[in-house]
Amino acid sequence: MIVVNTETIPGYEILQSLGIVQGNVVRAKHMGRDIAAGLKNLVGGELRGYTELLTESRRSAIERMLAQATELGADAVINVRFSTSAITQGAAELYVYGTAVKLREARNEPALAAATGVPQPPPLS
Amino acid sequence: MEFVLAFIWLIIPVALLLVAMLVGRAITSRHEADLARRQAVVAHIRTTDIRVMLDPVPGDHPPMLVTSEVCLGIDHFRGFLGNLKNIFGGEVRSYAATLDRARREVIMRLLEEAHRHGYNALANLRIEFADISGNATAARKATSVSILAAATAHHAATTTAHPVQAPVAAPLPG
Repeated sequence: MIVVNTETIPGYEILQSLGIVQGNVVRAKHMGRDIAAGLKNLVGGELRGYTELLTESRRSAIERMLAQATELGADAVINVRFSTSAITQGAAELYVYGTAVKLREARNEPALAAATGVPQPPPLS
Repeated sequence: MEFVLAFIWLIIPVALLLVAMLVGRAITSRHEADLARRQAVVAHIRTTDIRVMLDPVPGDHPPMLVTSEVCLGIDHFRGFLGNLKNIFGGEVRSYAATLDRARREVIMRLLEEAHRHGYNALANLRIEFADISGNATAARKATSVSILAAATAHHAATTTAHPVQAPVAAPLPG
């Protein structure tokens, strides 16, 4: 499935909008990570434990969103947005939402590119 | 005996500050050097925050969402400086520098992921501050910054970092 955070997908036409799809995850850090991060925080630098936590949260939120999109029979999710909220001390919510759409491959690709009004550079030799 | 205890209680926080300052500085300068080195690899990728790709070309793959995140700690010394500054008010440079470095790091990760998948442009770049576990609203002080970024990787017709020539200032009349 194509997932983008732009409103259009170059090379494709949007046939039908199927509505909003979303996924959210609330995750907490385990104590070991908290202690390790506390120590690392003394001298600064990347807190890898927390970065990993964010990456995992984001991945599972996107997976849940894609599961919804698949259920709707979508070809792509466009205009994807992320948002986070701190619910309590020690936990965070990662929320992702987008619009599920049905697609068709655009047939008049050169015309579309020209329509943007951007001068085309000379071909690379 | 009491004198020795008082001395120890005084020396520990000062030593912690000193260690945090020296190691923190080393980590910061290493990160800066690392960013500069990685910049060369991805310098050709065009980045924009507008919502459409202006000159897309069909590539091997359709456009793809790329995401990245980073959590940087604010070292004890910077935190101390920030708290001091809070008393008198004014710009807190020690925090601003860390935020700036975190943003550069997430953008670099986005560019590297796009590069890894063979794309040469990013559109609709979005950067946001993540309030993880209330780190932005903690009563005491900020101890870490978490930044999330997302963009759509594209194939674009022009691959240079600056495809449009910078406008030349018009000469003053008369």
